[in-house]
Amino acid sequence: MKKKLFSVLLAMTMVLSLVACGAKKGPAEDGINVCLASEPATLDPALQSAVDCGIVINHLFAGLATWEEGANGESVLAPDCITEFTEGVENPDGTVTYTYTLRDGLTWSDGKAVTAGDFVFAWNRAASPATAADYGYMFDVIDGYDAMWADDAKGDETLNVQAPDDKTLVVTLKNQVPYWNELMAFPTYKPVREDVVSNEAWATEPKTMICNGAYTIESWEHNSYLTLRKRDDFVDAAKVTMPAINFYLSDDVNNDLANFKNGDWQFIDDVPTNEIPALKKDYPDEFVITGNVGTYYLCWNVNEDLLPNSDLEGTEKALAEAEIRNAINLLVDRNYIVEDVSQGGQVPASSFVAMGLTDADGTEFYKNAGNNDYTGYFDVSKEAYEKTWEEAKEILKKYYTFDEASGKFTDMPSLVYLYNTNEGHKAIAEAIQSNFAQMGINMSLENQEWATFLETRKNGDFSVARNGWLGDYNDPISFLDMWTTVSGNNDVQLGKGDNETVKAYSIDLTDLGYDTKVENGTWAETYDVVISDIKTCTDPKTRYALMHKAEDLLMSTGTICPIYYYTDLYMIDDSVDGFFTTPLGFKYFMYCTINK
Amino acid sequence: MNTKTLMYIVKRVLLAIVTIWVVITVTFFVMHAVPGGPFTGEKAVTKQVMAAMEAKYGLDKPLGTQYLTYLKDVCLHFDFGPSLKQRGRNVNGIILDGMKTSAKLGIIAALIALIFGVVLGSFAALRRNKLVDRIIMVMTTAFVSMPSFIMGSFLLIIFAISLKIFPANGAARNGLFLPVVTLSLYPMAYITRLTRSSMLEVLGQDYIRTAKAKGVSGTKIIFGHALKNSLIPVITYFGPMLAGIVTGSLVVEQIFAVPGIGRAFVNSITGRDYPLVMGTTIILAALIVIMNLIGDIMYKVVDPRITLE
Repeated sequence: MKKKLFSVLLAMTMVLSLVACGAKKGPAEDGINVCLASEPATLDPALQSAVDCGIVINHLFAGLATWEEGANGESVLAPDCITEFTEGVENPDGTVTYTYTLRDGLTWSDGKAVTAGDFVFAWNRAASPATAADYGYMFDVIDGYDAMWADDAKGDETLNVQAPDDKTLVVTLKNQVPYWNELMAFPTYKPVREDVVSNEAWATEPKTMICNGAYTIESWEHNSYLTLRKRDDFVDAAKVTMPAINFYLSDDVNNDLANFKNGDWQFIDDVPTNEIPALKKDYPDEFVITGNVGTYYLCWNVNEDLLPNSDLEGTEKALAEAEIRNAINLLVDRNYIVEDVSQGGQVPASSFVAMGLTDADGTEFYKNAGNNDYTGYFDVSKEAYEKTWEEAKEILKKYYTFDEASGKFTDMPSLVYLYNTNEGHKAIAEAIQSNFAQMGINMSLENQEWATFLETRKNGDFSVARNGWLGDYNDPISFLDMWTTVSGNNDVQLGKGDNETVKAYSIDLTDLGYDTKVENGTWAETYDVVISDIKTCTDPKTRYALMHKAEDLLMSTGTICPIYYYTDLYMIDDSVDGFFTTPLGFKYFMYCTINK
Repeated sequence: MNTKTLMYIVKRVLLAIVTIWVVITVTFFVMHAVPGGPFTGEKAVTKQVMAAMEAKYGLDKPLGTQYLTYLKDVCLHFDFGPSLKQRGRNVNGIILDGMKTSAKLGIIAALIALIFGVVLGSFAALRRNKLVDRIIMVMTTAFVSMPSFIMGSFLLIIFAISLKIFPANGAARNGLFLPVVTLSLYPMAYITRLTRSSMLEVLGQDYIRTAKAKGVSGTKIIFGHALKNSLIPVITYFGPMLAGIVTGSLVVEQIFAVPGIGRAFVNSITGRDYPLVMGTTIILAALIVIMNLIGDIMYKVVDPRITLE
């Protein structure tokens, strides 16, 4: 009996020890443990389009420019692979040429030298239709891009980027681009080498992943972790203090938080919304809320009929509906949403272009929006809520029947609010629903799974929908050009469907030296024209003035109901020094040290 | 094995192939009918980019053609195609990676469930109505009735956050410990109860009394006669148990962020990664079909009285 019992016990121990002998090599012991998201979609700089991929790429590749932490903790642009930022030379045809010199000592992780030709190759590859990269349009400021994408393109067109020798890179832009230095720091602009990327799977395994940045991939257990090891032969190796970085690849926020709480991980990029109040209290120094360039908003389908029983038609009806939408937008109690619902330190929004973007004079763009004595297109302060509520009521009274006894409208059309399945979005939807209900607007909520939701919203099969936008670079145009008629992001359907022929939009650019003055034109005749003027405008002051005009026109339609400006929430262990992040959400771990 | 049994097995294998083919066909067409595609994101790509991507992965062809091409690739070359979301990786590689972890998780959980279940069940039966039996019965009732996502979260909070004995992340060192325990508790409890009742039944049989009367030793009666016969229901539960572990690991892998096939399956659906949805569905369906087949054949092997038809 004893023998048998012993053998059973032995078997149990063996089984348990099987569990214990886990991963083979495992993540680096001397590194920082961080978690941004699940498995990165790609680590190929040309193909990436998500911030988590961008962050890893920034540690693996060095571009012409990079972000560094300034003296006051702000993010500043610095030259990376080039000796200095040069001034562009304007050519007679309006194009602008920049000439850069590469620094000495730049090498790839296999020892070969980085040449200007690598940049020429990488940029043409990323911009070309053959690569079909999500962020290929980031190169549309460079001369030659349009020819590459023209309908009659043969496929051999290239960007106007030259490498006269291994050290010199000559780039010609279509015109002055105020955010050009910033673009050069963007992950899509990182170099890759032709012989390396000829293997289509090059960016999926450590041994084929040849990079030129501060780190190289040491090990990559797909969907588990990705370990980066510092390159001792990197030109700026002396500045890099973190010997290794373990990126854990997980997207379950509850599990991520458990790993942070038990001290295994030093950084997590997201937290469960319902934990925010507790985290603020329990981790006052480690739970961080910082600015992010983005706006959370509610969008209206411009083709939704808001006056089904009215005799109004055409322009008059469109203008009336715009007025109604703008009035309803005033009913949302944004302060309640940020303080009691989302609770992540978000800032109530009264414009579409987000907080954090600069204007021509260096002030914040959103503060100058709307030309009012308050910030933005309506007064979003707590004190003003009651007043704006009354204003909205008076406007709506022009179109609908108000019942004084109940204090509600009786014949407002019912709305359906579409959002993607998520507790946070649901809570905000319910808050808005209750605001509207107090005025007699019946709004039901409908949620859809993410990919289905995107498709429905894009097709315009909704009346009101949740929406959000994060800028790609610090220029308001990345918020404004998405509303042109042909844009794939124009979810509100301006200039599309029935709205295509509606003549209800006016624009006057004569005060800025342009001929454009349209009264009651179509969306294409007005908004599209301003956007194309902005893209070719070389004078920064005029350009920003044009962008304000574009936003004025957009906001006058009432199709955009800004709720709040996004913030970036993350947790970082207090033993970590030297960490910094940019407003676009790019995090840098290379200059970190851990003081245990 | 007689011809009748052999015929039965051949018939079942053919049926399994048909089942998998039906799964492939239904999944393929339902998946394409669901709104949203692999290249839709918060930020829309241009029409040209979309067209170029669709052409690259053959998504621009008629659905019927895509289906036939897919069937051909899977049946003839066992090639599940490239992943649309993890660019540069193919589905075979992703599934293989996921299977390594999931198989380890599942096999260890099954072994633990079997060993602990049989030992505890026999123990409870032999100590019937004593304190040990009562404790074992209360515990197993709790484990059987508690869903794995609650058990998983419970273990996570106690052992990973409060006591800090085991990591919360399945990919870390010793990270599989908590997922394995979570996954094995239900089948272990079930087997314990199964063994106990079956053992009690066997112990009351005439042949056991005969053995006792003949003066056979207690150990020999238990291990030589009682245990062997009381394991029949346990063995027949083996197939459904493995299938249950396969599906149960979908939840457990999510809670502990285990990089297994379950997580790949869930993520492929939300991301509309068509080839990965197909690949993981086929593999999981095949696993369940095979497990059930093995279970049925086991019936016959352990109990010759059963005739298979």
